[in-house]
Amino acid sequence: MEIDALALSLTYQFGTNAAFLFLSALGLIVILGMMNIINLAHGELMMMGAYAATIANNQFGLPFPLAVIVSFFAVAIFGAILELLIVRRFYGRELSALVVTWGISLILGQGTFLVFGPFMPAIKIPGGSYSYGGFSFSEYWLVLIGISISLVIGLYWLYRYTSYGLQARATMQNAEIAKALGVPTNRVYTLTFSLGAGLAGLSGALLAPTSTIAPFMGQQFVAPAFITVVVGGATNVISGAVGSSVLLSAIKTPIGMAYGAFLGTVALLVAALVIIRIMPDGISATLQKIMDRRRARHTL
Amino acid sequence: MNSKILHLIGGGADIGTSRTFWIGFIIVVILFALYPIQVSEFRASNAAYYLLNIPLGLGMALLWGYCGVLSFGHVAYFGIAGYTYGIIAGNMVGNSFGLIAGVIGGLLASTLVAGVFAYFVFYARVREWIIPILTLVLTILLETFLGQTAGYQWRVGSVLLGGYNGMTGIPSIQIGSFVFMGYSFYYLCLIIVLVCYVALRMLLNSNFGQVVIAIREDPLRTEMFGYDIRARKWLVFVLSAVLASISGLLYVQWGNYITPSQVGLLSAALPVIWASVGGRSSLLAVIIATLILNWVNFTLSAQGNQYAMVIIGTALVITMLFFPRGIVVMTAEWIGKFTNRSNNEATH
Repeated sequence: MEIDALALSLTYQFGTNAAFLFLSALGLIVILGMMNIINLAHGELMMMGAYAATIANNQFGLPFPLAVIVSFFAVAIFGAILELLIVRRFYGRELSALVVTWGISLILGQGTFLVFGPFMPAIKIPGGSYSYGGFSFSEYWLVLIGISISLVIGLYWLYRYTSYGLQARATMQNAEIAKALGVPTNRVYTLTFSLGAGLAGLSGALLAPTSTIAPFMGQQFVAPAFITVVVGGATNVISGAVGSSVLLSAIKTPIGMAYGAFLGTVALLVAALVIIRIMPDGISATLQKIMDRRRARHTL
Repeated sequence: MNSKILHLIGGGADIGTSRTFWIGFIIVVILFALYPIQVSEFRASNAAYYLLNIPLGLGMALLWGYCGVLSFGHVAYFGIAGYTYGIIAGNMVGNSFGLIAGVIGGLLASTLVAGVFAYFVFYARVREWIIPILTLVLTILLETFLGQTAGYQWRVGSVLLGGYNGMTGIPSIQIGSFVFMGYSFYYLCLIIVLVCYVALRMLLNSNFGQVVIAIREDPLRTEMFGYDIRARKWLVFVLSAVLASISGLLYVQWGNYITPSQVGLLSAALPVIWASVGGRSSLLAVIIATLILNWVNFTLSAQGNQYAMVIIGTALVITMLFFPRGIVVMTAEWIGKFTNRSNNEATH
């Protein structure tokens, strides 16, 4: 009975950690995979999603699920504007893109502070909780795990079966040839950046009830999100995000449970350093290599 | 021999090679040396604060501008050196070797962290964008760690780490009974900045520096020429961390305290901003930008201006959009073109 409960609790912690890492990194990895740009304003986009959801929920009285959808579109539109005005001038200059998005993040963080003040009223965590054998499990986190899984399926469908997905994959593989074949690569870039920003906003809104809503809340997502992306790599968006959030959660959960949250995050950084020493292009590149080798063997 | 040294100092690795430039340079140095005579000790101490940040900026220029490796976390080495100095010197109050041991210990601690970190990233040959991300994560973790060290159980010997309030009462450096404070601290900073600038310029004009620049221009080709680019990048990274530590050591002398926000996200942004606004491919441009931006930031935040971060962020975005090589460098290029044209017209 005791061991049952402990195992169940470990599984639950593992699931919530993986969902948290996946949600924080998703928007970032979508943008990185497509344009090789790390968006350092990612944390601030998540913060905007949380603010949009809070405002929609508290001031306009929208139910929380609807507020989450509203924040996806609000931040996606903001992302599209950002891409058109600034980011598009930095394609092919990775380091400059990092620096300019950092400038944007400073403006967004401090700007929000100036407009909305230091705090926002919190959103109550929807749903109740179960308890079993001395451990309690929040309903909301179970829903978040479910949402993460459906986001994976949704993204797979988007990239595999829509014409946007086809054009996006073509642009990822070779932008110049895709352009020569008539793919409007500029529009693909704008749409992808907007999608990545929207997903950041969505994650921010979903995670809003679990954290304090403040102008600099984006900073707490920076470390986990970027470590997940570094470990995942950008060869394949979905396998990178899923593979690395599962692997890192498997490292973080036991250490975090035994030694506390801070050492759990330190373990993440150490794990990331060791993993990139073995797989410099991340998990997704290694998975891709294994799959290619297997395919080559079949064709022989 | 003599002309070789002159060539090393005056070579083309930085803007300003003409005789007019060097005359101007010496005049400016003399003006800086005379500055404290005309102002109060308080103003001189403020100016020392602008000066002490320069080695950190130079480290960014060396690493990013000349070697093409971007780090968002060099304030981590600033902080490690400052805290280590505070711990060692604070525990050895009264002992004449305490201050020197603190300086050496601070430099060694940050060199060690930078060395281990750089081994993992450079010997793995990771992609360009991974290094800034991981350096950023490192500095955020350091801030989180230092922030939760409030309370009596977090002390090393007799020194409290102090959580978000920071470490206070860090002893100033002194020789015999002479303590560097106020005016004398200003001159200490000025001399260290000058030595750092001249030494770096010599390093970059030497063979070693030329290879570093070649790595920035084309890593693959440089490697094909038989240079071990991993080892060189490692060395440049560690060297720039040492420069950041020098700033950290000077900072704890200046205010006799250090807080975790010195290694926080906003502080981490600053050296990158100095380097991009000035022009990262020139040591002198970064020095100028560091001085001016520190003055602006200090003045704005001293007035309690909440827009400081917005202004600095906007400056960064505008620079990256319209002055990709930096405002000071592009101005210098423009002046160079102008004087060349007038020279040509004179000969025709």
